[in-house]
Amino acid sequence: MYPIILLSVLGIVVLFLGFMKSKNILLPATLLFLALALGSNFIDWNQGPLLYFYGMFSVTNLTLAFNAIVLISAFLIVAMTRGFQDDEEAQPAEYYGIMLFSLVGAIMIIGYEHLIIFFVGIEILSVAMYILTGSDKRNLRSNEASLKYFLMGAFATGIMLFGIALLYGATGAFSLTGIRGFVSTAAGAQSYILYAGLLLLLIGMLFKVSAAPFHFWTPDVYDGAPSIFTTFMSTIVKTAGFAAIFRLLSHSFAGIYDFWYITLAVITVLTLFVGNVVAVYQDSFKRMMAYSSISHAGYLLIALTALTAQTERSILFYSMAYSVATISAFGVLMLIAKEKSLDGRPNESYDAFNGLAKQNPLLAFVLTVSMLSLAGIPLTAGFWGKFFVFSSAADRGLIWMLVVAVLMSAVGIYYYFRVVIASYMKEGNTGKIRVAPFYQIVLVAATVITILFGLAPGFFEQLL
Amino acid sequence: MELTEFIIKAIVIAVIFGLTLLIAMYSTYGERKVAAFIQDRIGPNRAGPFGMLQPLADAGKMFFKEDFIPAQANKWLFIAGPALAMLTALMASAVIPFGHTLRYDGVEVAVQAVEANIGILYIFGVVSLGVYGIMVGGWASNNKFSLLGAIRAASQNISYEIAMGMAIVAILMMTGSLSLREIVDQQHSGNWNIWYQPLGFIIFITCAFAECNRTPFDLPECETELVGGYHTEYSSMKLGFYLFAEYINMFISSAVISALYFGGYNYPGMDWVYTQLTGAFGEVAGHNAATLIGTAVFFGKALFFVFFYMWVRWTLPRFRYDQLMNLGWKGLIPLAILNIIITGTGVLFLEPYFTALLK
Amino acid sequence: MNPTLSIFYFLSFLTVLSALMVVFSRSPIHSVLYLILTFFCLTGHYILLNAQFLAAVNIIVYAGAIMVLFLFVIMFLNMKKEDEEAKTNLTKIAAMIVAGTLFVILFGAYRKSIIGAYNPYEYNSQVGMVESLGAVLFRDYLLPFELASVLFLIAMTGAVMLGRREVGERHF
Repeated sequence: MYPIILLSVLGIVVLFLGFMKSKNILLPATLLFLALALGSNFIDWNQGPLLYFYGMFSVTNLTLAFNAIVLISAFLIVAMTRGFQDDEEAQPAEYYGIMLFSLVGAIMIIGYEHLIIFFVGIEILSVAMYILTGSDKRNLRSNEASLKYFLMGAFATGIMLFGIALLYGATGAFSLTGIRGFVSTAAGAQSYILYAGLLLLLIGMLFKVSAAPFHFWTPDVYDGAPSIFTTFMSTIVKTAGFAAIFRLLSHSFAGIYDFWYITLAVITVLTLFVGNVVAVYQDSFKRMMAYSSISHAGYLLIALTALTAQTERSILFYSMAYSVATISAFGVLMLIAKEKSLDGRPNESYDAFNGLAKQNPLLAFVLTVSMLSLAGIPLTAGFWGKFFVFSSAADRGLIWMLVVAVLMSAVGIYYYFRVVIASYMKEGNTGKIRVAPFYQIVLVAATVITILFGLAPGFFEQLL
Repeated sequence: MELTEFIIKAIVIAVIFGLTLLIAMYSTYGERKVAAFIQDRIGPNRAGPFGMLQPLADAGKMFFKEDFIPAQANKWLFIAGPALAMLTALMASAVIPFGHTLRYDGVEVAVQAVEANIGILYIFGVVSLGVYGIMVGGWASNNKFSLLGAIRAASQNISYEIAMGMAIVAILMMTGSLSLREIVDQQHSGNWNIWYQPLGFIIFITCAFAECNRTPFDLPECETELVGGYHTEYSSMKLGFYLFAEYINMFISSAVISALYFGGYNYPGMDWVYTQLTGAFGEVAGHNAATLIGTAVFFGKALFFVFFYMWVRWTLPRFRYDQLMNLGWKGLIPLAILNIIITGTGVLFLEPYFTALLK
Repeated sequence: MNPTLSIFYFLSFLTVLSALMVVFSRSPIHSVLYLILTFFCLTGHYILLNAQFLAAVNIIVYAGAIMVLFLFVIMFLNMKKEDEEAKTNLTKIAAMIVAGTLFVILFGAYRKSIIGAYNPYEYNSQVGMVESLGAVLFRDYLLPFELASVLFLIAMTGAVMLGRREVGERHF
């Protein structure tokens, strides 16, 4: 609750800081504000489930943990944005302000108790993303991506609203508890309008986390957006989106599990298949990461489909592992793409990584660890993330889904290792890349977190 | 509804409607006379005594001109344009309280067509629709000048509506009601809103000028740049409708200004007049007489603002387009926000102090 | 049939008809005008429910502001000539199947579900008045109401950011 208020106010403060002549204060100020928000997040820690504002917003340790992941990811991403003020066209205050505001949306959809909070939150998050996607104004691809994202996103929002309207028509309630109350009645379990509403709402939500077959925007948007905002999108939006879907399904619709799990299972398998197989054929690292984010949405969907007692923890752990690994991968990509830029545009293909390890062993190591984690190799956080997800599926007895998932993980290893091979084995002429100290800290921190949780996943359990 | 009440209501509505049209009609005459006076001329003086029949002659001329529709125009929309302009202009007068109540046979009927508890929002909504007449007509003419005029009208109206709405918000914060009658009743005798809302009044009247497309904001029909603006292609009574709608809008906005800021049918010393009249003519007739005097005062105030419109038109030059937009967005909207903040502060902290001072 | 019910059916018919015309009209200008008509019909529905404030706001915001901007933009685009984007047959068939399936599902859902009986005596006719709306908005729904302003602030900041004239662009 507190981070919402704090971030809303501090976002405005950042916008006003933009009036100052020196833009150097913006980055430290934003980082400070994020740290403040993170601190205020834990005021409610262990206070038990709380409801704020007449049952609009709920706070539990789980939502606080999700908030923490989102805020820490945002902190790491913002720390990498050193490059903003080099660009004379850029308006850093607006970027930072919009990023802070979008976190308000993310936190809203993590802890919503009332569907209107969810709706406003997801709109805040989406509108911020439409803008950030198109922020590279002179790049035609960025403009195209923004427009595409906006049109498709608006359509998905429409479908979602229709679903919410049907849910209200069926249950007479907007609050999750009210809907659960209706679902648990005999009439509720048989209400077809409820089913239709749930399906439409799920379609809208799955669009936002880019699950197949609602993923068509993802590659173009992730590819077209400036890399820093691609990172933002693929970590924060995804984490918050899955927290929101999990909240809806576990809180309100656990009673009709038999109805929705088939739909979700089909979507899961499709997402895994599309994400992993198409990623193999990509030549651009960034585009591969877009498909990789689709495939990770698939893994997270497995946990959702299973919906056991462990699901909340596995989703939490998985999104943490995925976010950290993605941030470090994009961090390295941004450095290299800038170093190897072609015609003034960043070069994001695999070839740019050739021979990276010779002069930049640290970057190569960071990249390797993040790729290992994304592929789910042991001793990294990604392995345990996948392990928890798969074991919850096994608990449910979804063996066939497990088989598909394991096969697809094997496919994943192929394309994640391509870039590792390129940086260690292939010949290239990458010179020594100068890394700003701040940036270096972020990369090292992300790598340390990945390895730490890979070695001792129980540590995380104790944190919660 | 009782039959008597119904009949009185019907008469009131008919009279208000007729008066609106009549006033709009004689506004054209008034405009020419005022222009003539300001330019040291005589003005229309041929048709009837002092040229009083000039509006009728103009109407006759309008009706008998050739009704022309351009070949490439969108016929239906071309006709719909002036019709919409006229319709929206006439609709707005429905909720304006022209007077207090009339008593007849034991029933009390308000001198107002419809009493809605969202009256001011209704007017605001209808005014915001007024732009469709211009836009549809301008687009359907299939003429670049018309289109440019229509687009100017649309952007101008939208820009100034915001500041206008915010000026109204300050009034609403003070009165706590959306009903125009309630707002007017709260300004009993001399306790007019203009004393509390001078800034709001200036913003409102500026925006009202822009909404009516009157000089200095008449860029949609700026003849030096756009031939005739949105009505370049129009002739005959269709053109007449557009011109007529402008005068109706002027009257309506004047009436709204006097209701919102100048006490409507309230005037200083009205209580004294009321007691005198009821003493002289009895309870019912005195009440009705007092109401009629109030209504006359209301029309007097409204007509003064109609005159003010004309006065400004023949005194001030036209804005340039960027000046217009700068004034709207960078001048009036911040001022309106400031006004809201001041009003909010006043309502919260100062009201007891000021009301004590005025009493 | 009581008059309210007849008005309701008439309005609903008009709403659906004008909404369909939005989709079927060839000219975008006509679509926009039909959409405005649809909003008017919806306003009529609000008035039938005695929700006067919503009715007025619907007119002011949707018909009066948003649709004017729509019309504004469409008038600038010269869409006189009927150059529709050619869609492949595959797209058309796929779209038809998806839309048809959705229609069947929704139709089936409506047909099969039992709508709870409605008691007109329990309906509070004052619920749509601006006073009760304000009370709900500023107490129960305070949080979403305030946070909606964050949404608008983002949209505004973004519009300024994306629309700002850059160095080297044309000035006039």
